[in-house]
Amino acid sequence: MAELTPVEHRDARPGTADEDRGSRVADLVRAARNGHQDAIGTLVTEFSPLLWQVARAAGLDTGDAEDVLQTVWLRLLTHLDDIRTPSALVGWLVITTRRESWRVRSQARRHIPAERDWLAAIPDAGMRAEDLAVTADGRRELAAALGQLSPRCQELLRIVAFVPRPDYGIVAAELGMARGSIGPTRGRCLARLRALLDGSTEGSPR
Amino acid sequence: MTHPAAPGRRTGDDPLDDTDLSILGGIRQLFEAADPMPADLPERIHFSLALPGLEYEVARLSAQEDHRMLAARGAEQSRTVTFDSASLTIMIRIDANSDGTARLDGWLAPPQRRTIDLKITGDTLLTVTDDHGRFVFNRVPHGSAQLIVRAAPEAAGSGQAVMTPALML
Repeated sequence: MAELTPVEHRDARPGTADEDRGSRVADLVRAARNGHQDAIGTLVTEFSPLLWQVARAAGLDTGDAEDVLQTVWLRLLTHLDDIRTPSALVGWLVITTRRESWRVRSQARRHIPAERDWLAAIPDAGMRAEDLAVTADGRRELAAALGQLSPRCQELLRIVAFVPRPDYGIVAAELGMARGSIGPTRGRCLARLRALLDGSTEGSPR
Repeated sequence: MTHPAAPGRRTGDDPLDDTDLSILGGIRQLFEAADPMPADLPERIHFSLALPGLEYEVARLSAQEDHRMLAARGAEQSRTVTFDSASLTIMIRIDANSDGTARLDGWLAPPQRRTIDLKITGDTLLTVTDDHGRFVFNRVPHGSAQLIVRAAPEAAGSGQAVMTPALML
């Protein structure tokens, strides 16, 4: 399967936390292959938040998203032997979730939620300031800029934002985003978002 | 935004820099706040994965129909759910019993004699299909439930085991 092709990760520097994480995930996959339930449970806990975003970004309602995640993890159990690297695991999970979501959506004739529902759902409070990479103002600005992107760019950035950094390259490539010769590149969606953010910063002094 | 204004035009071909990573972090926080995964979902998924290490075929949910309209007109509340796997279609009808439990009627297509496990929290209920592939669980407590179709007792080894995703009853 094409999505299982291992990709070299030049952005994962030796001896970094990224590498430790990579070998930990590899150990978990190996243990899961040998039938260790705890290892499977740990993988489920670690990657389900990402897959949730993939399914929701594909336009599924919450009930369908839950069903799709169940199906994807069940299918992983029968595909574990094909997964050779931690990045291949993440790539397989993301692509399988996306395909399964499309399948459910196309077969079900269910209503697709209005594209920008999530913008209205962003709470003004409830997040600890020290956890935020952006300020409350910045957050609203970011949401507004995201809302100006194409639905496809919104979906891609939403998914990639939840992908662990060392796996960014394989997932971005699978989703059809640019990947340069040195490592993951910004891609057109992120470049466009940055241009919008710069424009709004320059254009509206506070 | 708090990111520095970098000089020059930026394109999609540039490698990711710290500002990109900080923007991606911001996007992640937006969606973690606006659309978080239900906190108990990993636990429910793990429940449906906690099976002995056999070879299974995975059945997928292919149709679900709610009959609440009928319920409004006096018929009892029920829903039908269909799962498809490579070798089997599993249809189930779930009706509410008056004591708060659920009754689950099922059919296998093509019709065949198989053992059916219904895995519920902390327990597994067991039945066998008739020659027409029909089976029934009369009283199933509320909660998560998962069907596993195995070989019939008199035909051990025949037919691949099939499991469905967990359902909420």
